[in-house]
Amino acid sequence: MLLDFALPEHDRKLIPEGRLSGQMPWVIAIMLFLTLLVAAAGLTLADAARKGGQDLARQVTVQIIESNPAQRAAQRAAVTRVLRNLDSVADVQPVPDAQVRDLLEPWLGTGIIDADVPVPALVDVRLRSVPTAEALTSLQSAVRSVAPNIRVDSHSSWMAPFFELMRALVWLSAVVLLLLLVATSAVVILAVRSTLNTHRETIEIMHMMGGTDLQAARLFQRRVALDALLGGVVGFIVAAVVIVTVGDRFAAVEPGLLSGAHFPYYGWAILALIPLAVMALAMLMARMTVISALKRIL
Amino acid sequence: MNSLCPVMPFVPFVALMQSVVEFDNVGLRYGTGVETLTDLSFTLYPGSFYFLTGASGAGKTSLLKLLYLAHRPSRGAIRMFGHDAITLPRDRLPGFRRRIGVVFQDFRLVAHLSTFDNIALPLRIAGIQEKDLRGPVTEMLAWIGLTERADARPATLSGGEQQRVAIARAVIGRPEMLVADEPTGNVDPEMARRLLQLFAALNKLGTTVVVATHDIHLLQEIEGAQMMRLDKGRLSDPTGSLRHPPRPLVLKN
Repeated sequence: MLLDFALPEHDRKLIPEGRLSGQMPWVIAIMLFLTLLVAAAGLTLADAARKGGQDLARQVTVQIIESNPAQRAAQRAAVTRVLRNLDSVADVQPVPDAQVRDLLEPWLGTGIIDADVPVPALVDVRLRSVPTAEALTSLQSAVRSVAPNIRVDSHSSWMAPFFELMRALVWLSAVVLLLLLVATSAVVILAVRSTLNTHRETIEIMHMMGGTDLQAARLFQRRVALDALLGGVVGFIVAAVVIVTVGDRFAAVEPGLLSGAHFPYYGWAILALIPLAVMALAMLMARMTVISALKRIL
Repeated sequence: MNSLCPVMPFVPFVALMQSVVEFDNVGLRYGTGVETLTDLSFTLYPGSFYFLTGASGAGKTSLLKLLYLAHRPSRGAIRMFGHDAITLPRDRLPGFRRRIGVVFQDFRLVAHLSTFDNIALPLRIAGIQEKDLRGPVTEMLAWIGLTERADARPATLSGGEQQRVAIARAVIGRPEMLVADEPTGNVDPEMARRLLQLFAALNKLGTTVVVATHDIHLLQEIEGAQMMRLDKGRLSDPTGSLRHPPRPLVLKN
């Protein structure tokens, strides 16, 4: 196909004008801009879902349910000590009481938490690997030896719907990407058909002189490739500016669920491949359209 | 099957070769209309020269289209260069078309190509290298007297000049068969004679020439040329050669 791109100058003259049609590169640029944005969003979500999923699946919180504040503090220290000695644990962070109060105040109000409501002590634990059910039971048993009234919550269970949603959005972006590629193909086919009609006389003359379908198709492939290349470069530059700008805005967002959403570096390589893939797709569409149209004449 | 005999000096040579074209009971119908060509049976031999005459609407252009493989007949059999042209796979048609030079009635020059590029087109389609085609095209331009107009576009050429370019394009590849539809219709008598000389020279080199024309005076220009006359889609026989075809000489041991 690349060899087809390099036509001699005299063959290039057979179908005049530098491009298939005036609007064609711009239509491709717009389609490609949208395709790249969707691809970037999909890649970001996929990366965030993968990283977040891995991190959360390794996170557990130990709740120490003890109404006596002094005993609760002692049990928290003991639990922290036990957990730090476990091989499966990577990091242990007892959550300060003040932070727990801050978390609850929006719902329970100020001033009543310590006096009237027994608040459990929390210990955040990051495991070395995603725990199995047996590993969680074993961890629970180890902790119960120093604090009988505890509960172990795996973060993955309550965050699962959120990451399911993210994964669904990744699939949705893949479908939209596919639809955009189909629409781009349709645009190319329409443009090639229109050009074929404009230059039908030239093609017929070539045909009568023994020109093959492939010789005619090569002329169109080249035109389409040039249009797709021009449109691809413009679409890529504009999309890159938008992705970098939006990425900066994301980085400025306070840590939270979306803080892990960064456009991955390998994403740029994938985005760079998309214009080339669109160019190849456009050439293929042009080739198929011309050959199928020529087959209708003898 | 009727046989149109080639010019006599070629008969012994011809007899040893296969025919260029054989039509057997060929009919052509466009869509569901009446037959444009009916029951055509004839044979064209290598190195022969034919004039195809007939009134307007008699079917001359349709017959030429069958000869240059622009159409397939509705019925009958056509053999071309020793192959069945009816069942010939579509992907083999370009190879056969390259063996046929065509002068279209309306010239059909490529509007945005120069005179040089129009004449060079068949050679480029055939994959001839640029360095190898420059000489023959330049020579042909000189022959048709258009060296000075090598860079001109068809729209800037007169009707006669366009016709000369169309003829040059048809003969540049030294085709085995040349099919010309009214090739001298737009040129003055002197240029018409020169172009016919070109056809005759090609014919002497072995090219089978079929010229459709209204101009019966042209027949006198080529000695030994045969005449095919179409009348309402049927071949008639003004010279008697179809009724009593002089058979090619067959040499036996």
